[in-house]
Amino acid sequence: MKFAFLVAWREYAENAKTRGFWIGLFMFPVIIFLSVTVSVLLETKGTPVRHYVLVDQSGKFAAIVESRLEQAHQKQMLAALNEYARTYAAFPAEIHDALPQSVETFLSKGGGDYFLEQLKPRLKPGAPAFKAPRRPFQPAALPANIDTNADLASLARDLKPYLRREKNVEAGGGKVELSAAILIPRDIEKQILRPRADPARATATGNGIEYWSANLADTRLRDEIEQAVNGEIRRREYLARGMDGAAIRDVEQTRAPFASLNPSKEAGQEAVNGADIIRQWAPSGFVYLLWVAIFAISQMLLNNIIEEKSNRIIEVLLSSVTPGELMMGKLLGIAAVGLTMVGVWMASLFGVLSWKSGGAPDIAGPLLVALKTSKLIPMFSIYFLLGYVMYGAFILALGSVCNTIKEAQNYMAMITMTMMVPLLTMTFIPKDPNGTLARVLSWIPIYTPFTMMNRVNADPPLVDLVGTMILLLASTAAALWMAGKIFRVGILRTGQPPKIVEMLRWIKA
Amino acid sequence: MYTNSQADAPPLELRNVTKFYGDFKAVDDVSFTLAAGSICGFLGPNGAGKTTTIRMILEIIKPTRGVITVLGRPSALEVRQRIGYLPEEKGLYKKMKTWSVIAYFATLKGLTRKAARQRAYELLERYGLKDFAAKPTEALSKGMSQKVQMLASIAHDPELVILDEPFSGLDPVNQQVMEEIIRDMAGRKRTILFSTHVMQHAERLCERILLIAKGKKIFDGTIAEAKRTLPRRVRIETDDDIGPLRGLSGVISVDPVETARGAGGPDNLTHWELQIGENADPQAILQLCFAKGIRLRGFNQSDPTLHEVFMRLVGPEAREAAFR
Repeated sequence: MKFAFLVAWREYAENAKTRGFWIGLFMFPVIIFLSVTVSVLLETKGTPVRHYVLVDQSGKFAAIVESRLEQAHQKQMLAALNEYARTYAAFPAEIHDALPQSVETFLSKGGGDYFLEQLKPRLKPGAPAFKAPRRPFQPAALPANIDTNADLASLARDLKPYLRREKNVEAGGGKVELSAAILIPRDIEKQILRPRADPARATATGNGIEYWSANLADTRLRDEIEQAVNGEIRRREYLARGMDGAAIRDVEQTRAPFASLNPSKEAGQEAVNGADIIRQWAPSGFVYLLWVAIFAISQMLLNNIIEEKSNRIIEVLLSSVTPGELMMGKLLGIAAVGLTMVGVWMASLFGVLSWKSGGAPDIAGPLLVALKTSKLIPMFSIYFLLGYVMYGAFILALGSVCNTIKEAQNYMAMITMTMMVPLLTMTFIPKDPNGTLARVLSWIPIYTPFTMMNRVNADPPLVDLVGTMILLLASTAAALWMAGKIFRVGILRTGQPPKIVEMLRWIKA
Repeated sequence: MYTNSQADAPPLELRNVTKFYGDFKAVDDVSFTLAAGSICGFLGPNGAGKTTTIRMILEIIKPTRGVITVLGRPSALEVRQRIGYLPEEKGLYKKMKTWSVIAYFATLKGLTRKAARQRAYELLERYGLKDFAAKPTEALSKGMSQKVQMLASIAHDPELVILDEPFSGLDPVNQQVMEEIIRDMAGRKRTILFSTHVMQHAERLCERILLIAKGKKIFDGTIAEAKRTLPRRVRIETDDDIGPLRGLSGVISVDPVETARGAGGPDNLTHWELQIGENADPQAILQLCFAKGIRLRGFNQSDPTLHEVFMRLVGPEAREAAFR
């Protein structure tokens, strides 16, 4: 065993020196950090201001659209002010009660200026001045050569060079790119679709309102306008039919409260909250982590054994250690590399979460609680080790019969395909964690680590938890034993890799 | 209990060792014994079974039949810390530092980490590689990395050293360093078995050679004995008729030698080779030449080279093996 440890130590020391190891080590924390901070940053600063032109030939909707966009901006303003208050005010709870929370009251009381006025005496000393968010959508001047009275087709044709960014429009005294053009036809009234109306009665043909934009991904402007125009059309419809619009709005906002409750929680605490949902979905994150960790270090193991084989170092090694010691040494050494990596990942996850918890969209806090209180981390460690040893055994057997990475890749494809299954089922299992699919997969040893990890927070039946663990342990031992048999013969082989049948014969021998 | 017999036992003994790969007989009933402190050359054409024999000695593979005793034990694994091995196909960990490769293999042979490190530096310094100690092995030239491998395989100062083609791919200067390393070890009473197909190395280094071809042992003995398997020769250069020499006792044959000048037809041959018996006296040939008035332009008596012995012993089989 001493020699296995010597081999393991070298594997660990040498792998820990590689660039790939350090990249892998820091990649994950950096990704977590970025995904927590940058997404917020992008939301507020990253999205560019989009300029649009609005041609309303009907003359009935331009004002509605503009007021709607203004209201959207005010809503954003209010959210930003609330965040500012939470961060820099001395007594956030008290402020919360004193300040307007709905856009309507916010605007009626005087908007941002009023809010800031109220906030001023409560700000902590040294708080920076409030920076209002930018308007995401701003109108641009219509180019001079565009005839707003022309039909929609020629309007669109004239605007296309601007929409394709071949020409620029003017806004705020400078040249800017035109992101979208909204064209409302003169006869929009005739194009309105009504349920139960006779289609033959439709008097005009056309697309209705045309929204032109080269950017198909960002639909926010389109959605705002669509809602504004259709809201206005409905309002008029109510009027036309002699209905009270205000009454209808009241009716639409009438509702019965609805609560999700969890029978497995203690009495009085059954209400399902954000934390519960996080608790339910956190295992999926861990399954992914497990998968990435096992996959990454299996690759490391494969590269490593093939290097020794193709470099012919193996023969010197085998004159000093037995194939069994060599195999165990490799498995242990690379496991230590993997554990270091996963350990650093976990630590950084905790670090970033603790640092971020208490922020505005508070996912970090409940996630941190979920991590600390559930069985996630201990189970992850167990499944990581067992899963790794099992897959590692396959990889070592495979690596021992191949002379080059290229040869190994053919076999590796098989392993990768097999390993795809838990990734595909990862999102289904939390929805029905004790269902047939989950239970069947749990009892297939190569999927046990991933599937059971996925179910761990859903209180799986004890028979599943213990039974699959015993099966997993037994299969891992069997995999190691078979790999040992193949390794012993394969490691000294040169030339063509053997057929599967041949390897089976080695196992039987 | 067996300490005494172990001490007296030869470092290496093979008895009727046979190895089959499927139906192919790679090693066929080979037996030999190495004496302690000797250097033995293990010769044979490509594919003769040298590497297979060596791998069996080290117990990397198991013989199909036969008994191998290494340092008095039936299994090389039991005494692996006292054996050094340089395989035929050589490689190093590319990213590892030179000293740490040597030290790693030494720790696998039982040295402590500290002792291994010290030993690695010591060896690198002694054989002129000190400047490369802290460089990764990928920075070494082929010859240097082969020397480093050699040092790695002997860093634990083994009693039995087995070297598979230690000279292949080395330039003459490095070949000399390699010979020096082997002689240093022999000087410390280590037993060395090395395989080669370059006869000069065997001739310079070994007291004894072991020749195998097609898996069979075909010669086992000292170099002098090997040379005695071929008759001695006398070369004569003359324009006169050498007919009288044919009748001399001890002369086995007289044959013309084609020279580089290519001496035209059979009438004006000038170079001759006489094969003479073991007890024949070359002086008698010289005397007869004077007596018969044969004017000599050259007279040269030489022993056969090991190369000639090798070609003679394995000749047709070597060709066959090479084309297989």
